[in-house]
Amino acid sequence: MAGYICDLLGSGVTRRDVLRLMGRSAVAGLAGLSFGRIAGASVHRPSDMPNIIFILSDNCRWDCMGFMGHPFIKTPGLDRLAKEGVVFENAFNTTSLCSPSRASILTGTYAHTHGVLNNHTPWTGKLPTFMEYLKNAGYDTAFIGKWHMPGRGLPNLPYLDLFVSYTYREGQGSYFNCPLIVNGKPEPSLKPYITEEVTRRAIDFMTKTKTGGSRLNRPFFIYLSHRTAHPPFQAPDDISGMYDKDKVVLPKVVDSWFSRTNGNVYQGIMMGSYEDQYRKYCEDITAMDREIQHLLDVVERLGMTDNTVVIYMSDNGMMWGEHRCHGIKYPYEESIRVPLIVRCPWLVNKPGTSRSQMALNIDIAPTILDLAGIKIPSFMEGRSLVSVIRDANLPWRDAFLLEYWKYYPENLPSYKGVRTNRFKYVEYEKTLGPQIFDLKEDPKEYNNLYGTARGEGMLPELKRLLAELDT
Amino acid sequence: MRKNSRHLLGIFSPVFYVFIVMAGSWALYNVAWRINNDAIHQVIANISGTLLFLSVTFSTFLIYPMVYMRGGSLGERIIASLINPFLWATKECIRLYISFTPLECLYYYLNPLNIWLLFGITAQMGIAEIFCRLWLRAKGKDIRVLSPYAVGTVLISLFLVVLMYAWGQGENVYVLFLKGYRLFFGSGVKI
Repeated sequence: MAGYICDLLGSGVTRRDVLRLMGRSAVAGLAGLSFGRIAGASVHRPSDMPNIIFILSDNCRWDCMGFMGHPFIKTPGLDRLAKEGVVFENAFNTTSLCSPSRASILTGTYAHTHGVLNNHTPWTGKLPTFMEYLKNAGYDTAFIGKWHMPGRGLPNLPYLDLFVSYTYREGQGSYFNCPLIVNGKPEPSLKPYITEEVTRRAIDFMTKTKTGGSRLNRPFFIYLSHRTAHPPFQAPDDISGMYDKDKVVLPKVVDSWFSRTNGNVYQGIMMGSYEDQYRKYCEDITAMDREIQHLLDVVERLGMTDNTVVIYMSDNGMMWGEHRCHGIKYPYEESIRVPLIVRCPWLVNKPGTSRSQMALNIDIAPTILDLAGIKIPSFMEGRSLVSVIRDANLPWRDAFLLEYWKYYPENLPSYKGVRTNRFKYVEYEKTLGPQIFDLKEDPKEYNNLYGTARGEGMLPELKRLLAELDT
Repeated sequence: MRKNSRHLLGIFSPVFYVFIVMAGSWALYNVAWRINNDAIHQVIANISGTLLFLSVTFSTFLIYPMVYMRGGSLGERIIASLINPFLWATKECIRLYISFTPLECLYYYLNPLNIWLLFGITAQMGIAEIFCRLWLRAKGKDIRVLSPYAVGTVLISLFLVVLMYAWGQGENVYVLFLKGYRLFFGSGVKI
């Protein structure tokens, strides 16, 4: 508790605020006992409008976490989240590129609907984000971190109480000393490392909401958007180099030079060997994990764990040499599959379990609105995952649309495709031939069935499905 | 005419030798991964990758003095030094045709890596010029080793090489490249 109080006092919160908070936490704890139970869940739902923290990472693979059995990466924060929540083992993005995927998360729609087709396409704002609905419902809202959608500066989002982001380097920002824009005005960093900076600001927002002032005891929503793990990878000094002695086993089709060939140099991975770049990638994730852990600790110390939903996701995965590809844009599993963890104590029957249903980035907006008790707008194409969080065996979607628009100078043609529970079918705009994979028999996607008798037999149904989804 | 052809052949033969190394190592690198033995694959990839990198990036150190020694003029030395990097850059532009239009591929010539390479080659030419002059002087020719043009070329080029990287590890220049792209091509896509 003493450490926590130091944290709070260090962040500008007064001793009086802390004492007031401690009193309120005790009252809230008692009051929570009187709320009704959600079927099957072991924790009472303490409020109709729970606090919600959505943590988004960048390019973090679904398997690059300790609890996923990674050979060396340390992610105790994410491991804890997985242990206390549910892990969606089949979570995907619908467009495997940063800006479109982020716009899909914010609007609950596919890229062809929201219009952010690649990282050069400006954010139009033609669709409202789910944060606007939260604000209208009475939430205090904050977007903190990487916005990364092009346009003239950051958009005007009046429904945000706090909007901390950056436009530096195409909105990618930098790991160290990143110039920030806070509610439209440039502001110096509080911490040199961006991951620590945005976490600190999220904690400040959270604690101020809970410790006094005009926002006292109002529910809050925080969209915490990390730069991690976007290249060029840089970790803080005490983490940098921590995996130097760990053996990296990358796919056998690649080698140490792979980061400098086939255009990969533009992925920001030119310096050092490919293995070293992967180590740095893991270090970045560990650095972010430490901040997630810090955030979870503060939520706990504030006594808000049982009334706060924490969702962790990444905008894309990342290919690390599979199919001799590097990056995020490919339709292969390594780039479209993303980590998704939801900790929601009153919904989760058995913490530490997983869900096999296919969850998508477009499901985040409706899920959050559903958790907040807000009606899901009809334009949203995703579905609320709340019922899946409750019921691991619930029948769910059979297929979703994959779409990608070429993004200069990343050398991959535009494509559309469909992924079902078992198959994947992809059509490219030019140059490359179609692909069909049986993900059950060939999970690594080595055997393209297109052009084979089996593939030809499946083709009409897959084409029909694609046409149906792409309307 | 015949003499002129022989002269050019003599002058540009180093370019051809380096081209053979560059093309060969590129081909080798790109087939090595198909070898079923991982140890052999890694060895071949490392050797061919190193040779490819050296032939594209540092071949000027070899070509420029060789052309100099064979009596090539300043213009011929410069052209000879630029041929292989230009061919490499062209190959990279063609590679992009998998996804983009010919005009977008042409714009790729302006990518920061090519500009970086160009500054690097210019610096190498300056250094090589100084060494050639040193060699000639050792042979008894009355020549100024530290020619102001050569020294100036080295200093300015090296400064630009370092600056391009130091300015945000090259990211800032890359951002300018992308801004230029959007100026000409917009987002490059539409529904």
